[in-house]
Amino acid sequence: MFDFTVAGVEAPVLLLVLVGFTVGTVGGFIGVGGGYMVTPALIVFGFPGYMASGIDMTHIAGKGLVSTIRHRQLGNIDWTMALSMVAGTMLGVELGVRLLVYFKELGLSTIALLVTSVAVMFTLFLYTQFETRRAHKKICEMSEKGESIGREIQTSSLPRFFQNIPLSPIVRCRTARVVVSMWVIVLVGVVTGVLAGFLGVGGGFIRVPALVYLVGASTHIAVGTDLVEIVFSGGYGALRHSIEGHVDMMAVLFMISGAMIGAQFGSIATSFVRGPAIRYILSYSLILATCGAVLRLVYVLTGSSIEILSFFALVLTLGEMIFLCIFIVSLVVFAIRHRRGKWVPKWVPPLVC
Amino acid sequence: MAEEVRRKGAVKFVFWTLAAIGITTIIVHSFMSGQMANWYYYESAADGYAVNADSFFNATKQRPAILSIRDTDQISDLVAVPVKVGDRLPRNATGVIEGKVLQTGKRAVIDGQTIKVMIPWEVVETKGFRFRDSFEHKGIRTFGWAAVWNVVMVLSLGLALGYMAEGMTDLLGIKLEKIKHFEGH
Repeated sequence: MFDFTVAGVEAPVLLLVLVGFTVGTVGGFIGVGGGYMVTPALIVFGFPGYMASGIDMTHIAGKGLVSTIRHRQLGNIDWTMALSMVAGTMLGVELGVRLLVYFKELGLSTIALLVTSVAVMFTLFLYTQFETRRAHKKICEMSEKGESIGREIQTSSLPRFFQNIPLSPIVRCRTARVVVSMWVIVLVGVVTGVLAGFLGVGGGFIRVPALVYLVGASTHIAVGTDLVEIVFSGGYGALRHSIEGHVDMMAVLFMISGAMIGAQFGSIATSFVRGPAIRYILSYSLILATCGAVLRLVYVLTGSSIEILSFFALVLTLGEMIFLCIFIVSLVVFAIRHRRGKWVPKWVPPLVC
Repeated sequence: MAEEVRRKGAVKFVFWTLAAIGITTIIVHSFMSGQMANWYYYESAADGYAVNADSFFNATKQRPAILSIRDTDQISDLVAVPVKVGDRLPRNATGVIEGKVLQTGKRAVIDGQTIKVMIPWEVVETKGFRFRDSFEHKGIRTFGWAAVWNVVMVLSLGLALGYMAEGMTDLLGIKLEKIKHFEGH
């Protein structure tokens, strides 16, 4: 146990490092900050809710930078796309925070937050799951025909629609091989920023599917590019939380030390898999987070009377981190076995390379 | 060629490891010296009484904590120091019991030269998760530049750790090549 004098809490250091590691792994792999998983964990360790959000957001900024450096090395970042989106993201985050304050004044913030979370995450889960299954099937068919399979297979026709919008200036994103109106990228930044600011998260779980399905980036590039956004939005969030007095830097330090190792593993793990594998894990992360949010929503709507719901929501949120981490480790192990010609389950080969 | 990559990797690893150690040392030193807490509990954001919320965390309605009101630079145990907005907080203060809280009289009340605290914390909810919300962190304002310091430190640490890890893989000869995103298309 460590005495965090700023937060006024005694909390287990090893568990903080472990949470940092797991969220670092998941975040580096699917390009999310993991705020929806870390905040509840910190509350369990005894940190007050506002402090948990502040510590989480600050550690996300540092961890995002660690992952960004590795994704840059792997060639997963499209800087044109990332920098075009930054201003939109920041504007969106600010609008989202103001919207949250408005709902708070109406006394509806928790319910509004949870309902929006459930609606957004469930919709994204359905679309991602539906599209990824189609892509998975397509890979299997191509494999049977003996055709060469690229790292990315997408079946969505939405990107074509957005890429055909003839609004100047049109930007050429060389790494992502996408030519699109800059306004589309800025708008994606604003919309995902509003949701991120309103829900109090980094917004990666909204931005990665948006970059894939609206802008047309490959999943790997969406993950890397999103992490650049997370550094900016996380840094801005960290500044705001620090001004409000919601940050204990010692807790941040312990979490970053774990996240640094996890982020390396998660980022490097992306080089073992195809795009649909990342999208599968993203969609599982979304549905698990949705279930947790539904439980908490029911708990709040029933006047916080059914304690077991809150407990299950917590177990589910913490379990999600461990489940996703094990899933990613298993995929990497199977990918290595597959490369060496050893036995792997039938569903693995189309997802790894 | 491989030797050259390793040599550069070693230099990168050593440089960024030293940088990471340096940044960590600065953060830990600022914590150990009490500067971090001083910056955090910097000044009062409300008119009221600065207190050390830990000292009466176990108070109950039946056994309220009695805080003596005194003007002092350092709070020890059950002492409340009168403060106005913008006043520098006394040492060991971890929160301010605001005037309006005392007027309501539900959680704490003024009784002559003492403050009687009956409810030191309440269970509140954030996003459906419950936690104990005490007088700690209430009515305080953090030193403005400390927020900038936090962001600079965390980003510097992220940068140092990121390049340190990159240097380490180069040093170990683990070849991480750019992913060929469009091969096979």
